[in-house]
Amino acid sequence: MSSHAAPIPASRGPVEWPDALLPQVEEILSRYPTRQAAVMPLLWLAQDTWDWLDLDVMRLVARTIDIPPSQVHAVASFYTMFKKSPTGKYLIQVCQTLSCALVGAEAVIEHMERTLEVDEHGNSKDGLFTVLRVECLASCGSAPMMQINEHFYERLTPATCDQIIAGLRSGKPLALPRPEVDKWTFPVS
Amino acid sequence: MDFPRILSGNWELENSHKLDVARSCGTYGRVQKALAMPPVELIQIVKDSGLRGRGGAGFPTGMKWSFVPSAEKRGNKPVYLLCNADESEPGTFKDRYCMWKDPHLMIEGMIIAAHAIGCKVGYVYIRGEFRYIYDRLWEAVHEARAAGLLGENILGTGVDFQLHIHLGAGAYICGEETALISSLEGFKGQPKLKPPFPAVEGAWHAPTIVNNVETLAAVPWIIEHGAAAYKAIGTEKSPGTKLFSCSGHIRKPGVYEIPLGYPMRDLINVECGGLLPGRTLKAVIPGGSSVPIMTPDEVARCNMDYESINTLAGSYLGSGGMIVMDDTTDLVAALTNLLRFYAHESCGQCTPCREGCGWMYHILCRVRDNCATAEDLVTLKDLADNIHSKTICFFGASAAMPVQSFLLKFKGEFLARIEAASKGLPAGSHVSPASLSVVGA
Amino acid sequence: MPKVKINDIEVEVPAGTNMIEAAAVAGVDIPHYCYHPNLSVAGNCRMCLVDIVGGRAPEIACNMQARDGLAIRTDTPAVKKMRQSVMEFMLVNHPLDCPICDQSGECRLQDYYMEHGDYDSRGVEEKVSKKKRQDIGDKIVLDAERCVECSRCVRFGDEVTGTGDLRLMNRGDHTEIGMFPGERLQHHYQGNLADICPVGALTNRDFRFQRRVWYLKQTASICSGCATGCNIQVCHQEGEVFRYLPRRNDAVNKSWMCDEGREQVAGISGLKRILRSRVDGKTVDTEAALIALAARLKSATHVGVVLGSQATNEANWALLQTVRKNLKSARIFVTAGNDPGSFEYADKLLVDTDKNPNSAGVDLLAAFDGQVESWEAFGSAVADLDLLLVLEDDVVGRLAGRRTAAAIAYLGVSRNATSEAGSIVVPVCHPVEMDGSYVNRQGRVQRIRRAVNAAGDALPAWLIVDRLGAKLGVAPGTGMVAAAFNSMARAVPQMRGLEFKTLSEAGQQLIVETAPVAPTEATV
Repeated sequence: MSSHAAPIPASRGPVEWPDALLPQVEEILSRYPTRQAAVMPLLWLAQDTWDWLDLDVMRLVARTIDIPPSQVHAVASFYTMFKKSPTGKYLIQVCQTLSCALVGAEAVIEHMERTLEVDEHGNSKDGLFTVLRVECLASCGSAPMMQINEHFYERLTPATCDQIIAGLRSGKPLALPRPEVDKWTFPVS
Repeated sequence: MDFPRILSGNWELENSHKLDVARSCGTYGRVQKALAMPPVELIQIVKDSGLRGRGGAGFPTGMKWSFVPSAEKRGNKPVYLLCNADESEPGTFKDRYCMWKDPHLMIEGMIIAAHAIGCKVGYVYIRGEFRYIYDRLWEAVHEARAAGLLGENILGTGVDFQLHIHLGAGAYICGEETALISSLEGFKGQPKLKPPFPAVEGAWHAPTIVNNVETLAAVPWIIEHGAAAYKAIGTEKSPGTKLFSCSGHIRKPGVYEIPLGYPMRDLINVECGGLLPGRTLKAVIPGGSSVPIMTPDEVARCNMDYESINTLAGSYLGSGGMIVMDDTTDLVAALTNLLRFYAHESCGQCTPCREGCGWMYHILCRVRDNCATAEDLVTLKDLADNIHSKTICFFGASAAMPVQSFLLKFKGEFLARIEAASKGLPAGSHVSPASLSVVGA
Repeated sequence: MPKVKINDIEVEVPAGTNMIEAAAVAGVDIPHYCYHPNLSVAGNCRMCLVDIVGGRAPEIACNMQARDGLAIRTDTPAVKKMRQSVMEFMLVNHPLDCPICDQSGECRLQDYYMEHGDYDSRGVEEKVSKKKRQDIGDKIVLDAERCVECSRCVRFGDEVTGTGDLRLMNRGDHTEIGMFPGERLQHHYQGNLADICPVGALTNRDFRFQRRVWYLKQTASICSGCATGCNIQVCHQEGEVFRYLPRRNDAVNKSWMCDEGREQVAGISGLKRILRSRVDGKTVDTEAALIALAARLKSATHVGVVLGSQATNEANWALLQTVRKNLKSARIFVTAGNDPGSFEYADKLLVDTDKNPNSAGVDLLAAFDGQVESWEAFGSAVADLDLLLVLEDDVVGRLAGRRTAAAIAYLGVSRNATSEAGSIVVPVCHPVEMDGSYVNRQGRVQRIRRAVNAAGDALPAWLIVDRLGAKLGVAPGTGMVAAAFNSMARAVPQMRGLEFKTLSEAGQQLIVETAPVAPTEATV
């Protein structure tokens, strides 16, 4: 079972929002009746900017909103998608919940972990990949599936996984999968 | 079957998510009419239609809207409309289709709903894992804003409605409406005590209505065709169509829109293409992972509507996330898998759920691995009973019901593990049923 | 007011009362962890689940407001089982620390386990481990493993101090109380965190391992650290005071007190206490000192008397009476402000800038007397005085180097510049060593109570002054504290009707125009 406990984040030194992002920060703040409500969107923006959320990034978000940094830390620690430690360039999150498990998720996960030679934190030897077991990603009808960074890869087999990994390794821009949801047709009964 | 495809009608069209395509199909065609109507009238139509919340609880939508205090009573407080797009109940993936395929239908529903409840600002709370859909929703919002369908003075009617999309970040519990509100407000996604109920005091202490994506997407059709037309579909108490997310051991997993009251057996055998060759049905979880499991006998008896599943199988239609399990399924491993999910997703706020979910999961791991005793099964059942309905929100019951129902309806599989343990058999070598452990936990 | 029933006992409570409080009125104790009367309702511990008569599901009493006709039961098998199961859930990941945990004896896990738990343990799974013995503040040690996640401390930081420092991080059974990594508590109310923590997660650094609490006796009293007059319990054993705890009084300090107030404990048996009477550098018994003092007062031509806002109403009243009855020409002064060296911090919550517990009381008596002179008047008069009698006030330190030729007689608790300069010094009881009353900054008269025996030869100041009065000719009749208070209450209009014996634990708000300052125009 993956642990809930967030590792205590290290720090990369004080940060400020790049000037180019300031209008976006303001726009985010304008969406809500309170500044507090901007915590999550700002954490997302920060994560997009600095890859993961260290203590100084959390302090920046706290400063921006004018709340104690402990509140930002609590929020960041609660949500699994906020990264409290660095990951590989490709974060591979394989669904392990029931619908996926019923049709072979475990085989996919084990295959990925084996072929990418990941350590106990899920990081591959070359540091390019991080493989995590995650809970339901709401793609149960196209199981087994995984999410690489923000994209869904579905109806996986160990063989298709190899192809996807090879594609990523080749260094070419990530070929976006056509989500299963795009292939929907109404069943003719 | 002859019925209008209220929700999925546009899904097969090329670029169905674009505004021009949506408009060509009639989307936003109901806005003008709805915004000209007095809110009470809109609420009455939705009440009369019998539309029930499609997130899982099945609460009558029109009644929920009517709980918002009148403008006089609420003083200068705003009203918020939140669209629950946190779809995260295992086995449920219909809202993802709605939003990917036809985001404008949902937005149209929100415009109408907002007018009905007197709301000027709304938010769509979408789960973090749907980030690619989040981007698509913003595109749709920008398109609609540019076309004067969102913002101030919509289509010259004098009605204002601003819509924002809010991205979650990985927490199942945020699908619970008060947890969703906490999360939107910028806190940990933890449910709030009721009372007060959100319709009276929700987001930022203002009256708040939280509706599921599918619920809102059904509203424009009801306004266009009237309550009676909607009520003519489905059953007396469960009118309309519903999207069913079908997964597990079936040939054609996917999302199907069918009228409520449709036989479950037919959904599995016809729409879903039946089981894989040579397999027989072992069990079905009909409404998302939280609802009690059903036996093949119960499946044969039940229809896909709120009443049938409840009265004939003691389970719930829930979100319509149907997980089909055939005879190769190791139900002990399946339940262990689900409890790992609940232990991982418990928000940690109240005692029974916080401590109990992990505890049940650990016991189940031992049962699965042939390391448990008969007393452990008694403890497991007792813990589930001690969690159910003792918690702040429904999550506790959601974790307890699978345990209670698996133990009640498939006790043999659990006893077999106890027997294997007493014989000192290693994990994976339990006596019965024939082990085809496709499920890992 | 709505009438509600708890286990068939009907009580009438104010609208809005929650059912934990309503049950308490009915004499029924509903166990709880997260509920605290001075914090918002969190409803997370689930220990206060009760059955509603005619209801479908159990509900928590803390979030249930009294309404007419509401009837709950706390004595059903279902409630018993719920309490037992909540205890079981709370303890399943709780470390087996009791033998080494300083909370033992005032731990709700222990207390409620005995009362409501008492099951055979079936928790065989490995416990979740969390961070122990964390230094999170000058006053507080945190053991996250012992925490039951009730969020009282979180709400205290959010709602009382506004510092928002403690948070519950993570989720599920890995939920863990903590601070932002590397930060420490910065506020002056840290001790309250240990008080409100129902378990051993937050413990008081100063009190840790000092005493097992079950040996401690408690005496209700008032903090003498500032003019706020926080209600406290003095916790003591065999004549030694170990800690102050805040005592709930919603009209004054709710359930809180500041850390500086707690630190006053150190002064009780501190090295600075005056233990023996002294006359001209020689240690004497107090009787001898008072004889000498009476003689010098009689022979002096220009006597100045300084009332003490550190002293009780009774002491000041006794002094006023003694002087007015026996020393007609003496001038009486009040002091203004704090003793030099008293702590500087103040805030809008409880810590007052005035570090004296009884300034309002002295002002009241001064106004009653009408002839008491101000500190400014004292400043210009001091050069003319030849004998100065000072009650618990560091007059010399306050003069900050300005010399006075007057001989000084000092009645006080601890050594200071005045006692050092004094030719006669008489030891006075510390507030925990005597009975009496103060008037706080709101104009509320509140009782202090004797918790421990006096150190050395110290006596209550009202008694010292009464004996002095006898030696001067007319005793003021304040030889008993109740007599001192009652004679004052009969005389001073704002106190009329009060009696020492019947003064309630919550004190009595006096009908005062805000305490008047002594008239400055008083003539010599």
